[in-house]
Amino acid sequence: MDYISRIGVSTPRKESWDKVTGAAKYNGDIVTPNALHAKILTSTHAHALIKLIDISEALKSDGVQAIITGDSFPALSGPMIEDRPPIAKDKVRYFGEPVAVVVANSEEEAMRAIKLIKVVYDPLPVVNSISDSIKSGATLIHENLGEYHCPVEDVCPQPGSNIADHMKIRKGDMNKGWTESDIVIESSFSLPQSDHLAMETRNSKAEILPNGNVIIHTSSQAPFSVKEELSKIYNISEGNIIVRVPLVGGGFGGKVAVDLEFIAYLASKTVGGRLVKVANSREEDIASSPSKIGVEAKLKIGATKDGIIKALECTYYVGCGAYADTGPRMAKAIAVNCTGPYNIENVQCDAITIYTNHTFVTSYRGFGHTAFTFCIERILDQLAASLGIDPIELRMKNAIAPGNLSPTQDKLTLSNTGNLVKCILRLKEIMNWQEGSRIITDNGMIRAKGMSCFWKTSTSPTNASSGVILTLNTDGSINLNFGGVEIGPGMKTTIAQILAEKMKMDIDKIHVVMDVDTQTTPKHWKTVASMTTFMVGNAVIQAAEDLIQQLKNLGSIVLKCPPDDLDIKDQKVYLRDNPEIYAPFKDLVHGYQYPGGSSIGGQMIGRGSYIMKHLTSLDKETGKGKVGVSWTVGAQAVEIEYDPRKYTYRLLNAATVIDVGKVINPKTASGIIMGGMSMGIGLATHEEFLYNDSGILENTSLRTYKLIHFGEQPKYIVDFIETPQIDAPFGARGMGEHGILGIPAAFANAISLATGFNFNKLPISPELIWKTMTGGRYDTF
Amino acid sequence: MIPFDFEYYKPTTIEEAVNLYNKLKSAGKKPIYYGGGTEFISMARMHNVYTEAVIDIKGILECNIHELKNNELTIGSAVTLTNIAESNFFPLLSLTVKRIADHTVQDKITLGGNLAGTIIYREAVLPLMVADSEIVLASINGERRVPIMDAFNKRIQLADGEMIVQVIIKDNFITLPNIHVKRTKNEKIDYPLITIAALKDNNKIKIAFSGMCDYPLRSYIMEDILNDNTVSSMDKKISNAINNIPGKVLNDISGSSEYRKFMLHTMIHEALTNFEEVN
Repeated sequence: MDYISRIGVSTPRKESWDKVTGAAKYNGDIVTPNALHAKILTSTHAHALIKLIDISEALKSDGVQAIITGDSFPALSGPMIEDRPPIAKDKVRYFGEPVAVVVANSEEEAMRAIKLIKVVYDPLPVVNSISDSIKSGATLIHENLGEYHCPVEDVCPQPGSNIADHMKIRKGDMNKGWTESDIVIESSFSLPQSDHLAMETRNSKAEILPNGNVIIHTSSQAPFSVKEELSKIYNISEGNIIVRVPLVGGGFGGKVAVDLEFIAYLASKTVGGRLVKVANSREEDIASSPSKIGVEAKLKIGATKDGIIKALECTYYVGCGAYADTGPRMAKAIAVNCTGPYNIENVQCDAITIYTNHTFVTSYRGFGHTAFTFCIERILDQLAASLGIDPIELRMKNAIAPGNLSPTQDKLTLSNTGNLVKCILRLKEIMNWQEGSRIITDNGMIRAKGMSCFWKTSTSPTNASSGVILTLNTDGSINLNFGGVEIGPGMKTTIAQILAEKMKMDIDKIHVVMDVDTQTTPKHWKTVASMTTFMVGNAVIQAAEDLIQQLKNLGSIVLKCPPDDLDIKDQKVYLRDNPEIYAPFKDLVHGYQYPGGSSIGGQMIGRGSYIMKHLTSLDKETGKGKVGVSWTVGAQAVEIEYDPRKYTYRLLNAATVIDVGKVINPKTASGIIMGGMSMGIGLATHEEFLYNDSGILENTSLRTYKLIHFGEQPKYIVDFIETPQIDAPFGARGMGEHGILGIPAAFANAISLATGFNFNKLPISPELIWKTMTGGRYDTF
Repeated sequence: MIPFDFEYYKPTTIEEAVNLYNKLKSAGKKPIYYGGGTEFISMARMHNVYTEAVIDIKGILECNIHELKNNELTIGSAVTLTNIAESNFFPLLSLTVKRIADHTVQDKITLGGNLAGTIIYREAVLPLMVADSEIVLASINGERRVPIMDAFNKRIQLADGEMIVQVIIKDNFITLPNIHVKRTKNEKIDYPLITIAALKDNNKIKIAFSGMCDYPLRSYIMEDILNDNTVSSMDKKISNAINNIPGKVLNDISGSSEYRKFMLHTMIHEALTNFEEVN
């Protein structure tokens, strides 16, 4: 098929057929004969000293090769604060923490041996919530907090406390803001920890070859971090570590943390480098591997009587559980975007990362933005109600606009932010807002609509980078190789579309290297932050330009003309003024052979890279600086039907209008947004970790950990606004995470409107509604 | 992954099954009777159940009977929930089993498995309780046919080695006005917050509950209160019945006891109103 533009055209994913036929292989599907199996014994206490681990019985059990504990290869890991031993040493800090690892001939034998290990714990007082943790005199979770090494400069744990980091934003003049405010509203908010719940549970394999190479096969969003962190904490040369990642069955941020890779490596090391596999059961994936942050927040907002916001003061406590991982970075993300997409001149925000004896955390879709969006969008609805202004009007009045400054005092432009007002207006139309947002139906039900805006930027490291290599086949087709992991959103295909467009060729002639191998794939920072299309997209454009230049250079010799007279299309280099004179790629890309055999040119390799530009670290006192290259804005709404007799609700419609700059693959893009919305509804209505009084996680299985299921979904409506981002590939902004961001807020706004009560805590279950509205005693019936 | 090996037997007669049990038990193999396997498989992988021998009863004729004959509906213990729902001999039972787990799992779960399960809800027993059904049990000492209300106290009371063969329901019960209401924490397919199954027999309501306590329950005391025609206020009757629940109201992560009581009130109200409308 000849070239037709693929930008903005729905294009099936490169891996679709393999996936729908079951031929696609995920990491755990690849069975290797002679692999040993590791199983992890996890802590039954939330906080305790380990007095004794008796492995003698377990060692005698059939098939057991080795057992390791925290004392075997002591080391501390962590991307921001090196606070976490991959296997607990001396003490445990959460229920589910790895305590010992059995390596056996089979999974079954490892499971059996696990049961024979005896651990004697000496329980310590449990820090069971953020509020427990920040009380004066609270039990310390990390006694040596001041001694930990922090690989990043801007994260500072506070010794003698449970504070992992404190991030500040100080913008404008708070006194001025409050003076100018006619009305001030204060509220508190609470969002629980919960799980990522990717369909593929985490799993890794490791082997150490006699030549010293460490081969890791893993399900990860960050293969290059696996390499770098293993190298760092176990002192292995980076070049000796090879990390291989095939298709990943969902990540949602949960596979950013280096987790089972450490265990697999240590397990292999203890059995002389043999291949060892470790795979989480669902229960282990929930209780032992990292989860989503929990947040407690207090907000105070001031506005004039006609609804212009003058001041915002907020305190966010970000519960990172037992170990910090990326927790401080999510607190930073909350702080730097705490206003939501609104122009607020006077802002004070403190975002404090707090240790507790709960499951440790890592990145989660939305990277903290869902939490602050919930708080700011709830308080805006409360403000609108107090002022008697329609919530949509209030948001229109304060919507961020070119020339405004972000909380970090970065200047906003139409290109770097997009058009929020357009999104809101389109949402209003889709949701039929003019019919009213609270309607009592004939059968006594209440139909209510709530909305929320959102914005998100990447808050990546200032030097995050990405590379692309293009190699060519003798038929002139291209192999596209880059380090983004295909975790589900189809971005390998998106990048192929961008390349096809730049090369003006048929996308079927572009072959994507689906797996990532850190030895042969150019580095991509991490498949996170909705940045793959942007970063790799820019890199692939550069690689295409590099290849085109090589084609034109050789073409100019073959076609006997200056390179600038040439153009390319349909895998041909042709003379612009006479397209009938051309050379096909296949005659050029592995060198041109003259009649008679002599050849010139040689193999062509396209090369491109991208690095984030102009990002800065932030001022420690004011937070001033630049955290991301752009924002993506949007508006969302949820419509529910509330039953005032039963205090229950049904989800009717959910809509998102998002300014993505340019839609590259429309159906895939809608799907990603819908997936995010569905996760948002899960957070709004179902998902939470429930800890008992001893800090034991009670809902560690899908019997009791509930997420939204098929048949409970509302009708999803997704629409796009396209305000191009000038420095993005074809103008396309990040959008991978964004569907989730405003949904919990929109849902809570709808429930609050329907019931007349303020719901500032998630998830909102019928029981919570009943309790809130009646006091929660049966005799009040 | 089930982390232990076990033997699998599929006898074709009751006698063979109960003798096998006896023999395997003597050999120290901790045998269990096996129906659909959903609970065994899901619990064994978590080390929550252990056996060295399972006796699959799905090959036994009597356990597969599903027929309405001589004024009696007989349902074998190996009949699946899907089969019960599709045959629909006893509408209240069909309604109840159609809301246990999801459709895929209903294809596997058997009536006997649900009655004898360790998961506390055992909703299939509710219609059997209100229909004064009988249950046929077998052991090496022979078979016995007992009223379910006698055989079921919090859970099925089986002697060691005894298996459930079938359940027998008198046909006059199966056509009575009935109602099934199930409420969950927040979704359609889940364990019950409360499930009720009720029949109206001779103007008297017979009603059984799951999720109210940590076992299924039919209380004659509560029924008497609900059937007391000298009290005219329906809400008062219901409150009184709830104050006379003969056990501790369940209080767990699916719902607090207070919320369950509130929910129970609205559900009984719905049932009574529904029966009144039938009149």
